[in-house]
Amino acid sequence: MTTTPEADPRAEMAAAAAWLAHGGASSEKRGVTSDLSIDEALLLHSIGWEPIELVFGVSITSVPVGVWTWGRGQIGAASDAHNLAVHTATERLTKECSTVGGHGVVGVRASVEVHPHHVEVELTGTAIRPAGAKPHVGRPFVSDLSARDFVLLSNAGWMPLGLAFGASFIYAPRRDAATALRQSTQNVELTNLTEALYAARESAMDRMQTWGLQMSADGVVGVHVTEGPMYFARHVMAFSAWGTAVHLAGDRHRYVQPDVVLPLDDVVVQFAARSLRGD
Amino acid sequence: MTGPPDVPEAAPRRLESGSFSSGLTVPDFAACLQMGLRPVGLVQGFCAMQWGWYGAGSPYMRGMSPYTPQGSGGAYAQTWYCPHGFVSGEHRMWGQNYEQVWVEQAWLQGFNTAFGRLIEEAKEVGAHGVIGVTDTAHSLLESNVAEFHVLGTAVVVEGAPPPPKGEPWSTYLAGQRLAKLVEAGFMPISVVASIASVRVWAYCVTEYLMEGGATLWQTQGTAPVQDVEQVSEGLLAARAIARDHVRRQLGTDTLHGVTVATSEREIGGGDQVFECTLRGTRVRRFKDFDPIGAPRPTVRLS
Repeated sequence: MTTTPEADPRAEMAAAAAWLAHGGASSEKRGVTSDLSIDEALLLHSIGWEPIELVFGVSITSVPVGVWTWGRGQIGAASDAHNLAVHTATERLTKECSTVGGHGVVGVRASVEVHPHHVEVELTGTAIRPAGAKPHVGRPFVSDLSARDFVLLSNAGWMPLGLAFGASFIYAPRRDAATALRQSTQNVELTNLTEALYAARESAMDRMQTWGLQMSADGVVGVHVTEGPMYFARHVMAFSAWGTAVHLAGDRHRYVQPDVVLPLDDVVVQFAARSLRGD
Repeated sequence: MTGPPDVPEAAPRRLESGSFSSGLTVPDFAACLQMGLRPVGLVQGFCAMQWGWYGAGSPYMRGMSPYTPQGSGGAYAQTWYCPHGFVSGEHRMWGQNYEQVWVEQAWLQGFNTAFGRLIEEAKEVGAHGVIGVTDTAHSLLESNVAEFHVLGTAVVVEGAPPPPKGEPWSTYLAGQRLAKLVEAGFMPISVVASIASVRVWAYCVTEYLMEGGATLWQTQGTAPVQDVEQVSEGLLAARAIARDHVRRQLGTDTLHGVTVATSEREIGGGDQVFECTLRGTRVRRFKDFDPIGAPRPTVRLS
């Protein structure tokens, strides 16, 4: 069994400072911008990938007036606007990635805001490639997985394909006055509300999965689900679901067998200073 | 360094007092000692900047004519024209996105002046570098006055020769993150920050779309929901320009751990400003780094 010599941080720092003092020049051909942490950069390095450039994708999509007024059922125009904004922002992010020769984008942070007359989507991530590789032929992947998750996924034989999004907007259904009065003293399931909100959740997830299938994905991982009324339209519930569509890159899944670690250190008992005062 | 009051009289007195103060947390402090970095002083730089008058008649009014589709001096500008053929004082017959170079220059001047003063203080204490840098830019008193404050811990690298030209290096990192960076073969050179400011003057189509008028003004064959191209381009341009600005400062070095901050401000109807600020540590590879082995996944029993 071979062991790597323990790094001496003091010697490393002194050597680096001495190198700089003697006019150390850059040996790289091109500058790199990256929002990855050093841990993430090293992890990518461990599987032979490197960051290239910070890339962005933005889209503002209009929502026609009258969309949020009272009505029944799902609000198709709002879902369409959400869908278009995400799609356009992703296309712009992908284009930036291709321009710098990236094979994909990892760690994408997605900000989605729904306003009365527009939907705003902002995507920010770091374009990466196999170290020294030529520009990618084909469509780069886009993933909101961290570099750590990307490494784990890659080691298991899977690769990300793109972001899959789905959204659904629905008017909160109302009961008629007589029904509301009759049920006011009862324990009763509000079936119209259950059905409407349940259906809207399913629609959001279904759209996300459909988006994934259009990319020929085997599945979507790291799904986030958000829900809630909007500040400008309390009578409308918004649901969204998004994650990274993945596919099996090899013949079969490679099992990652983790080592089991049993920490032997005692549980630290925190001392609460306020307890001295009898609080 | 610009401006006469470079470093206040109290600064050298504080820094020469023989003791040090540091903005490091205890774990960062311990990690730095482990690396042979000895804190020698808490150093800072400050600058209050007034934004000049950029309204009508000022020399900064450029990029606001439909006949100059390109910004002067290589600055970003993009113009859109009304497709409807109306001629009316109330109808926005043209619109423009343009880079507010003067705002960017003012911001950069404020930041660089404050940062220069921090470096000046670091030189006073004979530091090799400044670690754990933090910086803030706030509006102060009036809307066109901003203060820039840069703070960091000056350190000496024990046993190392003085930095090149006596100029200390600087980094936003400290502690274990800095140790890992150096171990990975990167030496910090300097903190880098830049801002991009893009003004968006809406033309008629943008105005209608942003006010929910898509169904009224959609042109034939377009969907009721559509990308508001002018605003999307403005938002994207702010980010791309900020990235270009830091790239110009980088050369072939790497900008590590970039943080992105964006803001949107409405000046009036159909008049918006998008700003994007990038900050990070410029690092340079000083040695080849042996690839680390494949990481070993673990599961923790607790």
